[in-house]
Amino acid sequence: MRVGRALVWHEFQERIRDRWVIVVSILFMLMASGVTLYSRSAAESAAAMTGPSLVTLASLLVPLVALILGHDVICGERERNTLGLLLTLPATTGEVVFAKVIGRVLALSISVVLGLGVAVLLADEGGREALVALLWPTVLLGAAFLSLGTLLSSVAKRPSTAASMAVASWFLLVFFYDLGLLGLLVVTDGAFSSEAISGLVAANPAGLYRVEMMSHYSGPTGFEDLSVAAFLPARNISSLIWVLWIVGLPAITTLTLARQRSSR
Amino acid sequence: MKSISLRDVSVRFGSVQALDEVSVDLVPGEVTMLAGPNGSGKSTLMGVLLGLVRPNSGGVVLDGEENRTGRWLKERLGYLPEAVAFAPNLSGYQVLRFFAAARGVDTARIGAVLENVQLADAASRAVRGYSRGMIQRLGLAVAVLSEPQLLVLDEPTGGLDQAGISVLWRIIEEQKERGGTILMASHDLVLMEKRVHQVVMLAGGKLRAKGTPEELRARTMLPLRVHFSLDPAYPTVDRFLEAIENLGDCVPQQNGLKVVTEIAPDRLLALLSLQPKFNGTVAGIRIEEPGFDAVYESVLKVEP
Repeated sequence: MRVGRALVWHEFQERIRDRWVIVVSILFMLMASGVTLYSRSAAESAAAMTGPSLVTLASLLVPLVALILGHDVICGERERNTLGLLLTLPATTGEVVFAKVIGRVLALSISVVLGLGVAVLLADEGGREALVALLWPTVLLGAAFLSLGTLLSSVAKRPSTAASMAVASWFLLVFFYDLGLLGLLVVTDGAFSSEAISGLVAANPAGLYRVEMMSHYSGPTGFEDLSVAAFLPARNISSLIWVLWIVGLPAITTLTLARQRSSR
Repeated sequence: MKSISLRDVSVRFGSVQALDEVSVDLVPGEVTMLAGPNGSGKSTLMGVLLGLVRPNSGGVVLDGEENRTGRWLKERLGYLPEAVAFAPNLSGYQVLRFFAAARGVDTARIGAVLENVQLADAASRAVRGYSRGMIQRLGLAVAVLSEPQLLVLDEPTGGLDQAGISVLWRIIEEQKERGGTILMASHDLVLMEKRVHQVVMLAGGKLRAKGTPEELRARTMLPLRVHFSLDPAYPTVDRFLEAIENLGDCVPQQNGLKVVTEIAPDRLLALLSLQPKFNGTVAGIRIEEPGFDAVYESVLKVEP
């Protein structure tokens, strides 16, 4: 664990000095402040207006930041010729991969806490608690996409390729995924059951995050008008989905690296 | 100190046979150099030793026993990759502090190591402001931070100026004095020749030759170049030149008061025996051995 602890701290230190992360954190803070102030002027309840607006903002911005933050976890080290240096430390490949992911998730969490923290401070006193509830799920959302970025970084040869794959993944999972499901429903003329569609919505962390947070702010019945109440999975299922993304993808990254040892 | 060997290592990447039953013994306190053209298998062999490449057969042997986990070696390893780079946002000190923490080294040692690689003044500066040579010296500092038993250096002279090369020699000498084992890959054959105990030459994934530089030089039988300085008082040297030509396979060339000829090593004594006969004509003799790059080319040119 000695290597893991050192690597977590090293990654965290390196990322919080990253100009790109600093710029995005400031941008997130400004946008979250803008949303909160606008919502305050438009409605009395932060939970009713600010929360959903911040969910929309975070579900767009946080996956992008996380993917970019994770896109060079492996191929960046490979390009600097330091991947071998890390893998020759007295630790397993898995320990190295997970430590790098955790260090970057911590740096991303700082960005999320700063952005949403400003919104919490600017919100009405009564709505602050509702906004604080956004913090942990938003960190989970970031961790899931950072894990995806890490996997992409292990299969891409160069950081530029990994960055393109990360941006494409963002468009696919954040913008086109729900549209694709809608298209699937139309094309198949309802051949897919609502359970299957809700399962597919929840399988995407961006979708799961939106469904969970919207449910938090309006309650499951709030979806009835949209006929999407079934999208909200049981708590143990949603926990499993988060674990699969956040732990499963770095585990696949570890296996990918192990495979590359014998077939470079 | 355990003896470290690579035994019958074969590695195949798809249809490419990267290494074909290569065996190398690394001796504590000695320097082994891997030499060979690009794609000869040097990096792959190093990768097997470092645990970065899984061999199809063979592997690392420690004190005669197969090294199954690699953990023992990882704990005692120092590695400098080729053309290494470090996180540009961190200072040299922070980079070393990370590796010290990861390897369980007391942070008090960082200052001494920075001093040793002549980076103490730049320790607090971000790596992005370092020159190529400074980054290479930082890489050397990372490699020797934990006083490893096995030091693996991949093209260690890359980017180093004369002062940096002096730092490298000092580090290698210190490692040898501690009884540590050193394996390095380098294209700077002439520069390295005097510093290494064993040269392992690879080509096409096969072991072409191994031995001390002297052994390899002797094996190639490349001609020696002999320089005679002539005494100005004896301007006529025709008989001397004729005597050299009579030895056979020698074509002496005169340039003013200098005569130069090439001769096979086994004929050297015969050539030198001419000197007493022409004592007044020959004022001095200098024997020039072929460069190690010529030895290298000769070894790789001949099929085993």
